[in-house]
Amino acid sequence: MADFNVRSDSVNVEQIMEQIRARIREKRGVDYTEQQIRELAAVKLEKFLDPRGVRSDLLNEFRRGDPDPNYAFEDDTIFRSTRGVVQFMRRMLAPVLKLFFNPNPLIHVLHMQSQINDLNAGRHQLYYELIHNLVVETTRLGIEVKNLRMRVESLDARVDFSERRARALEGAVMYRPQIEEEREVLRPSPIAPPERMARAPGSAGPATEIRSAPAVATASPGPGQGAESSGQRSKRRRRRRGRRGGLPAAAIMGLPAGSTQATTSPGPSAPPGASEPATETVAAPPSSDSEIETGASGHGSSTPSAASGPGGFDDEQ
Amino acid sequence: MKLAVVVQRYGQAISGGAELHARYIAEHLARHAEVDVLTTYASDYVTWRNEPGPARERINDIPVQRFHVQHERDLLAFSRQSAQVFQKPHSLVDELRWLDAEGPTSPALVNHIAAHAGLYDFWLFFSYRYYQSYHGARAAAGRAVLVPTAERDPAIGLALFQPLFRGVRALMYNSPEERVMIQAVSGNHDVPGVVVGIGSEVPRNPEPLRFRHKYDIHERFAIYVGRIDENKGCKELFEFFEGYLRDVYGRLSLVLVGQSLLPTPQHPRIRHLGFLSDTDKFDAMAAADLLIIPSYFESLSMVALEAWALGRPVLANGKCDVLKGQCLRSNAGLSYESYEEFLALIRSLEKNPGLGRALGENGRRFFREHYEWPVIEQKYLDVFERLKREPARSAVEPLPPWLARRRRNLPPGEEVMARLPRGAAATPTEEPAATGARP
Repeated sequence: MADFNVRSDSVNVEQIMEQIRARIREKRGVDYTEQQIRELAAVKLEKFLDPRGVRSDLLNEFRRGDPDPNYAFEDDTIFRSTRGVVQFMRRMLAPVLKLFFNPNPLIHVLHMQSQINDLNAGRHQLYYELIHNLVVETTRLGIEVKNLRMRVESLDARVDFSERRARALEGAVMYRPQIEEEREVLRPSPIAPPERMARAPGSAGPATEIRSAPAVATASPGPGQGAESSGQRSKRRRRRRGRRGGLPAAAIMGLPAGSTQATTSPGPSAPPGASEPATETVAAPPSSDSEIETGASGHGSSTPSAASGPGGFDDEQ
Repeated sequence: MKLAVVVQRYGQAISGGAELHARYIAEHLARHAEVDVLTTYASDYVTWRNEPGPARERINDIPVQRFHVQHERDLLAFSRQSAQVFQKPHSLVDELRWLDAEGPTSPALVNHIAAHAGLYDFWLFFSYRYYQSYHGARAAAGRAVLVPTAERDPAIGLALFQPLFRGVRALMYNSPEERVMIQAVSGNHDVPGVVVGIGSEVPRNPEPLRFRHKYDIHERFAIYVGRIDENKGCKELFEFFEGYLRDVYGRLSLVLVGQSLLPTPQHPRIRHLGFLSDTDKFDAMAAADLLIIPSYFESLSMVALEAWALGRPVLANGKCDVLKGQCLRSNAGLSYESYEEFLALIRSLEKNPGLGRALGENGRRFFREHYEWPVIEQKYLDVFERLKREPARSAVEPLPPWLARRRRNLPPGEEVMARLPRGAAATPTEEPAATGARP
């Protein structure tokens, strides 16, 4: 978020809090409390869990299931009777029974089975708790993963942006020395003083020539003059119109060339270099310099001034 | 007018909330009335051990009289009594035993109050939950004014305090939330009560640069001022801030000011400076981007008021109703209730200095309108004037008969507390000074 001025009377804490909460909700979906997570785990499992892996009605199934049937089997169960006399007779005749077969292993096994059934019933409760906790944890993890995924995506976007930004900055830094060199070249060459001297106060001719010369040069950097574009033609037309319009007032009043330039200079936004005579000779648009500064090197190198430099033009002339 | 201030501890070195509150009020009311302070020899709020010292002395030109504490606090007995009255059904006798175990038990002080009740126009009792307030207010009969400094803890649910809230002449609340809570628990709507709070001695021109040079802190930072304790929410603050530190874009450091009862995290961007003088503390607060208050229980955050007086925004724990209410009413602080909110808010304040400035400006205005000392003093004086005009009410209700006191039919304190209304009071705003105490 960028820095901005906020008027103290326009600040509304409640509103800010609402906005922040809305943004958080937007980011992470919904705010879940512990209770909500439990409800989701119990009711909306299919939303978070793979339905093929875990049954969504698992908890309900567990809850619905009747407890396993069991029976009580003690050592004397097979001899019991509601009638005391019968029970007594059975006990008395037990040794006789043992003459035919041994009931003890049978009694022992059935007794053990009853105990195992009890144990299993207890374990079922533990399984239920375990699975319930697992389901709650899985739900929580599912939400966490979802949030983390969103966070990773957001970080990914930020990293992408940073990389692009870094690349752009690297490009700018790479081209900067070249631009500096170009600026050096753009500064008045030793040949320039005579020209400047030729531009005597009051004599507008040389200045006009200087201005028109690069126009020709600008139009003929390429291999064929006849192949000039309509843009170039319209530029030339504009320059001609300018010449027909007469000299700037400052030139007529006999001010030095630098002052004349001040009237023709692009304005306060132009960089300091733009007011130098050499810069004017290439008739560079005011924005071109700033474009180079910001790293748009392609533009700079495509202009004649950047390709060969004004010094070159001077030499040619 | 003659006033007596009764408080459990008193002294310049004592920086506990209610005690400092009492000292400030005594010193400021001394400009308008004759003020005496009655307190104990204790200075440690855990043991209430008697400390050597004169029985009578003057502290900042206020006469102070001290009384012995009968016995130190037995921590084991106190925790057992606390569990009994907070978590189980119990009797009034259990609650009285709890009060005695909590301390500072000073029958000498209570006897003195009973013997000299008529000497003073009003008796100001600070902190409802201590022995001297409960028994002292009963002894001072119709001249007791209570500054409850109540927090949302189970003690508020104990039945023995309800007649106290109904029986004093007036209550000076710290916040609208406190008033709502006490009125809900005791039904004392007919007792005059004013939300006053407390002012603070904030320097007009703190020097943040002096602090930065002195402590070699040149980066932007958030500040925490107070006891570094788990009870104050500092553990959670550390967790949250360490999370924020993992954010590569975050630039704020955390500066901790105050005595530490917790190990502070080892991180180059977390600095613990220990206890600072008032000058350094205010310089530090003025240098900070924001103040963080992570506490869950507050009756009134003085440090928040100080930050606002200095034009600094506050980031407070929204789970504390009082803090949240203060933030909403002042329009000068933001409150968080989760880690995500903490992160989002601290980032917003970090990246929008304009927002911080605007909040701070609101805070400055809020402090000026409600917590400047002339405002606070006037609120007290208005209440005293009103009480002088009105006929004296009957004293605190007497204790029930012997058998009724022993009947275990009182609900646990925690249960009562849980039933009390929750939430911050965004509106109505605190009464303005001029009209707050008018009948």
